[in-house]
Amino acid sequence: MSTSPAAGGEPVIRVRDLRKTYGATQAVDGVSFEVARGEVFGLLGPNGAGKTTIVEILEGLRAPDGGETTVLGIDVRRRPGDLKLRIGVALQTAALYPKLTVTEVLALFRSFYPRGRSPDDLIEMMDLGEKRTTRTKDLSGGQRQRLAVALALVNDPELVFLDEPTTGMDPAARHSLWDVVRALKASGTSVLLTTHYMEEAEVLCDRLAIMDHGRILEEGRVGELISRRFHDRAVRFDRIDALGDERIATFPGVTSVKHEEGAVVAYTRDVPGTIGAILAATDALGVEPEDLSVRRATLEDVFLELTGRGLRD
Amino acid sequence: MSALRELTIANIRSYLRDRAAVFWTLVFPLIFIVMFGAIFTGGGPSVGQYGWVDLDGSAESGALRDAFAAQANIELVESDEATALASMREGDLDSVLVIPAGYGAQIRSLADAPGAPATIAVYSDPSQGSATAEIYQVVGAVLGEVNLAASGRGPTIVPDPQTIQTQDFSFISYLVPSILGMAVMQLGIFSSIPLVADREKLILKRLSATPLKRWQLVASNVIMRLLLAIAQAVIIVAVGAQLFGVEIGGNLVLMGALIVLGAMSFIALGYVIASFAKTEDAANGMTAVVQFPLMFLSGTFFPIDSMPEALQAVARVMPLTYLSDGLRQVMVDGTPFNPLWVCFAVLAGFLAICFAIAARFFRWQ
Repeated sequence: MSTSPAAGGEPVIRVRDLRKTYGATQAVDGVSFEVARGEVFGLLGPNGAGKTTIVEILEGLRAPDGGETTVLGIDVRRRPGDLKLRIGVALQTAALYPKLTVTEVLALFRSFYPRGRSPDDLIEMMDLGEKRTTRTKDLSGGQRQRLAVALALVNDPELVFLDEPTTGMDPAARHSLWDVVRALKASGTSVLLTTHYMEEAEVLCDRLAIMDHGRILEEGRVGELISRRFHDRAVRFDRIDALGDERIATFPGVTSVKHEEGAVVAYTRDVPGTIGAILAATDALGVEPEDLSVRRATLEDVFLELTGRGLRD
Repeated sequence: MSALRELTIANIRSYLRDRAAVFWTLVFPLIFIVMFGAIFTGGGPSVGQYGWVDLDGSAESGALRDAFAAQANIELVESDEATALASMREGDLDSVLVIPAGYGAQIRSLADAPGAPATIAVYSDPSQGSATAEIYQVVGAVLGEVNLAASGRGPTIVPDPQTIQTQDFSFISYLVPSILGMAVMQLGIFSSIPLVADREKLILKRLSATPLKRWQLVASNVIMRLLLAIAQAVIIVAVGAQLFGVEIGGNLVLMGALIVLGAMSFIALGYVIASFAKTEDAANGMTAVVQFPLMFLSGTFFPIDSMPEALQAVARVMPLTYLSDGLRQVMVDGTPFNPLWVCFAVLAGFLAICFAIAARFFRWQ
C-alpha cells in the first residue's frame, strides 16, 4: 500500500507505527509514512482524523504513546531542542499576541533563532505590507493565517509544518498561499501539510496520505490514488427515495453506489447505459432526476470510496 | 539573550496596550492614595496639641505662652519636660516647646544691650514632613510677632530645632507604604491573566514550537513585572511626597529588596492562579477572589492592632501583611508589627511554597 518517497536519500520525516491515545479515543492508530527532502506531503482527512495530533507529535509538542518519529534525522523525543531550530510551524489556530503589530510579532519570533529571514521580506512574501503596523487582533482571519505562515518561515526552516493553513481564507488568499507553498517547494524546502480541502491537496501535494479515524487508508501520488481505484466515471444525481441503491447497482456498468451530501453517486464503466437506465427508472416512477451530472473520478471519490462518506460531512 | 530581551519588550508593550491592566496596577493605587489623602488631611485646619514646658517661670515666659495660646489652631498643654516628651512620643502631642531657665533674664538683658538671642527648644518629628512644616509655621508666626514688637534690635527669640521620633505617625504616611505593598501584590497576582490568556490563545503552545526556553519565558514575565514594580514604587512615593509631604527615610536597598521579594512572591501566586484557572475569565475571577481579602485584611488601610481579634488572626496569615509591615518599617519608620527579618522570611517562605505549587500544577498547553 505504501509507495516509496520520490527522491532518494535520507527522508526528512520518518514515522513508524505511531500511536497516541486520549482517554478512550485512539487518535493515532499505528501510522507509518515517510517524506522525502524537497517534497510537499499532504495529510488529507476530515476533522478528528488524527492529522493535527500527528503533526504536533512531529513538532515535538506532544509525546506519542508509541512508535518511532525521526525528523531531519533527529529523534523528536530525544532532542526536540535541536529540531525546533530547523523546522517551521504554523498551528491550526493562528496563535498571535493580540496587542502586538505584525512587524513586532515577526521581529519577536525572529529573535528566537540565530539565523533566518528578515521580517520585511516575510511581510512582502505574505502580502501583509499594508498591515505591518496593525495589531494582530485587528487582522482578518485570512491575514492572521498568512501571518502565522510567515512566522513559520522566520527561521528559514528546512521543513515546514502547515496545519490547515488555508482554513478561513477567501479564494484569493488561498491561491496566494498556494503560491507561497509552491515557492517553498521551488526553493527546496520540504512541507508537511494537513488539509481537508481536496482541491488544495490535489494542487499542492506531491504525495498524500488519506486519513480517517487515526489510520492512513491510502497513500501515494494524487494521480495514482485516483487511477488505482477508479477507471470509472461518476454519475451523480439528487437522491430519489423510491430509487434504492440496490436497484441502481443493477444498472448497466455500475460498479458501486455511494452517497454524498444528499446525492447518489454511481460509479460506472458504461455512462450511456447507466444514464439510460436511470432515466427509464425515474420516468417509470414519474419523477425527474435533479442535478444529473457525469464526471471523472476525483480525489473526492477516492475519499468517498475509502471512508463511505464525503469529506465535508 | 536577545530573545529574552525581545520577549520582555513584547510583554511590556502588551501590558501598556492593555488599559485595564494599566489601570489596576498603576492608576488604582494612586486613586486610593489621593482619595484617602484628601479625606484625612483635608477638611479644615485641625487644632494642634502642643506641649508647653516652662523651666523659667518668669513674666517674659508667661507673655510668650500667652502669645502662643492666642493662636487659633493650637492648644497648649502644660507639663514637665519628661511627661511632655513622653506623650509626644506616644503621639498625643504634635510638638513640645521648652522655655529654658534664664529665658526671662536674657530677654531683659537684650532690652538694654544687643547680644545673642534667647532660644526656645521646638520638638518635631522630621519623618512627618507636613506636620513639621506646620509646627515651624506656627512657631515662626508667634516669634515673628514678638520679635517685631522688639523691633530694631535684631531677633530676640529664635527656635532651637529638636528632633524626636514619634510612634504615632500620620495616617497618610501609614497609607503610602501600605498602598505600595498593595500595588506590588496586584502587579504580581495580575500576572496570571495574560499568562492564562496566552495559554488559551495557544501562544504558549506556539512558543513551545520555537527554540525559546521556558525559563526565558518565565524570566521575561518576571523582569517585566519587576520593572513595573519599581516604576510603581517611584510613582507612589513621588505622589505621597508631592501631594501629602510623606517623606521616605530609611534604607533604599532594604526597600528595593522588599519590593523585589514581594513582587516575586505575588508573581508566584499569579502562576499558582494560572495553574488552576482554565480560561481568562476564570483567571479574572480567581484573581479578584484572592485580591480583595489580601487588600482589606492585611492592614492596608488601618493598623492591624486596631482590628478585632479574629481578623487579626486572619491578617497574620496574609502574606501582604508582612510586605506592607516591612515597607512601613523601612520607608517611614513605622511601628513594627513583626520584626523586619520575619517579614523577609515569611515572604521568602511564601515565594517558595507558591513556586513549588506552580511547578507542580502549571500546564503550558
